[in-house]
Amino acid sequence: MAGKSGRTLAAVPERSLKKMLVSWEGMLFLLFIAVNIFCKCISPVYTFTNVLREMPKYLTEIFLLFPMAYILLMGEIDISVGSIVCLSATMSCIVSNAGMPFPIVLLAGLMTGTVCGMVNGLLTVKFRELPTMIITLGTQIIFRGIAEIVLGSGGTISLTNMDGFRKIAGKIGPFPYLFFLVILCAVIFTVIADKKVFGRRLYAIGSNERTAFYSGIKVNRMLFTSYTVLGLLAGLSAIFLTSATYGANTTTGKGFEMDAIAMAVFGGISTAGGKGKLLGGVISAFVIICLRVGLGQINMNPQVILIILGALLILAVLLPNITQHINQKRKKASKA
Amino acid sequence: MKKKLLGLLLTAAMAATLLAGCGGGDTPASGSSTGAKTYALVTKSAGNPFNEKEAEGFKQAVEAMGGTPVIQHPEAATADAQITVIQSLISQKVDSICIAANDENALQAALEEAKAAGIKICSVDSTVNTASRQVHVNQAGVNEIGQCLVDAVYDLTGGEGQWAIVSATSQAANQNAWIESMKEIIASDSKYANLELVEVAYGDDEPQKSTDVTQALLTNYPDLKVICAPTTVGIAAAAKVLQDQGSSVKLTGLGLPSEMAEYIGDDDAHSCPYMFLWNPIDLGRLGAYTSIALVNGDATGAAGEKFTAGDMGEYEIVTAGDGGTEIILGAPFKFDPSNIEEWKSVY
Repeated sequence: MAGKSGRTLAAVPERSLKKMLVSWEGMLFLLFIAVNIFCKCISPVYTFTNVLREMPKYLTEIFLLFPMAYILLMGEIDISVGSIVCLSATMSCIVSNAGMPFPIVLLAGLMTGTVCGMVNGLLTVKFRELPTMIITLGTQIIFRGIAEIVLGSGGTISLTNMDGFRKIAGKIGPFPYLFFLVILCAVIFTVIADKKVFGRRLYAIGSNERTAFYSGIKVNRMLFTSYTVLGLLAGLSAIFLTSATYGANTTTGKGFEMDAIAMAVFGGISTAGGKGKLLGGVISAFVIICLRVGLGQINMNPQVILIILGALLILAVLLPNITQHINQKRKKASKA
Repeated sequence: MKKKLLGLLLTAAMAATLLAGCGGGDTPASGSSTGAKTYALVTKSAGNPFNEKEAEGFKQAVEAMGGTPVIQHPEAATADAQITVIQSLISQKVDSICIAANDENALQAALEEAKAAGIKICSVDSTVNTASRQVHVNQAGVNEIGQCLVDAVYDLTGGEGQWAIVSATSQAANQNAWIESMKEIIASDSKYANLELVEVAYGDDEPQKSTDVTQALLTNYPDLKVICAPTTVGIAAAAKVLQDQGSSVKLTGLGLPSEMAEYIGDDDAHSCPYMFLWNPIDLGRLGAYTSIALVNGDATGAAGEKFTAGDMGEYEIVTAGDGGTEIILGAPFKFDPSNIEEWKSVY
């Protein structure tokens, strides 16, 4: 690669294999391999079929990762998605129990999510001076509050007809349908972020919103679209979650927002916006899933697993800062 | 172009490691390969003292019978978290799962999958629906508990006045069944006509939230006479609030003797004159013996079957209120100032 005449190594950095492997995504990929080997060593039942069978619960959360990553790339955040999942699951259960055909049930779940997303988008755009953390904290409480009111005093609803939901929980070989849908979403969202104008604009807004605005990017439209898409995918997530629990209750989807944000941040997507790649988020999601499955199989206390994941997350955020610091010191030293 | 190719290669390699790294076919779990049977208990949440005592009893009984116990606490007191645990136990090919459910219906899909994998299922303490279980190990009949608590409230209020309930989560199956039963008993007998249930508050089995809802009850209902908390976490939190404030409101319900000892007393300095509970250690042991009977084929979960629960004697499987079957441990036990000293060191 470096041998091409007239071009120094520095001129082609982003195309070299070495750069690829020392990039955050490359490191994550190596970590993914390491985690799999580690889990295989500690757990005799860490097999391909078992991992895939235990995966659906976690896969439902990955839907949220993609649009969440878009929002984080723009320097914003949405902590209401868990509540949107809860409300969407509740609504689809109610529609299903009212005897509606399954396509209508699906539509109800997706529409509820989309409408919630639009509310978030609208509030974000109309009150641009308010931090989205605060806006979505508000809607987080509101959406779950509505779900709790709809659910009534029992706080839970169970499906009376599970046929449709049983079908979507089906599998092709060992692969649940959900797996293919997540991969499809991963490809679409990654290609849009990396290759399309929409993606460029996301990074532009996250890097400097004002400059982006003056260069003609419709910031508000970008925000509104992203929040709406997040709502839609939260609806999708809710439907698959319902297919696993045959119902909904007041704790449905609790903590999903933080899991999605954690996957993104671990994947190298900065909450300050403009930095990181979706590919990193996707790999990190699978690193987290494999680790949780493996440690769960050796009956490790789940609280300890959470502590390990928390520590990994902090490390993931610290590491780039530390390496940057060291590099700067080294540069200074070489200058002197 | 080269980058695209690399990306593709990376993805291919990722899929390959997933296949290779964890491939190699299903190997049997360590438990079943050594011949000893593995019996799993899934609790409602970690740090719940009642569940911990239950787990202790379960462990004792399984070990006494030469089996391997697996105790699993979900990461949160939700059905979602329990599904994750069940899935993991299916991978481990345990022989039985005994579960204290956080939601009656939400575990059905996961437990049906476990059943299809040949795992025997029973619920303990808090039931799952009939499609998900073979038999439920009940601490005491729902109506017996309801009657006990209603009589306690009747006694402490002096037969009339306002009272409130501090429960666990709003979807906890056992608490809801007891509350329903209490309401029915009150409605069915004119003796209780002057008792006014003002509110059912949910403390979600979290000490802080239970404290908050108790405070709110005291503020909102100045004429409140009695609080009934049919949950160990709720009653301990409420007892502390009432006693610290020197409130005249009296407390009863279901609580752990070790946690409630300092609040139990007949005078005004104590907030709880008496309360009830069953022995969680015995409940865990009965759960274990039931699991063992199901695995050995001594019982299938049909009504009318009898089996020997180790040194606890013979138990009979009876038809439960929800149409399924259950095994009843015994009547609730009353803790009052006369016996609390003796019991507080037990559990």
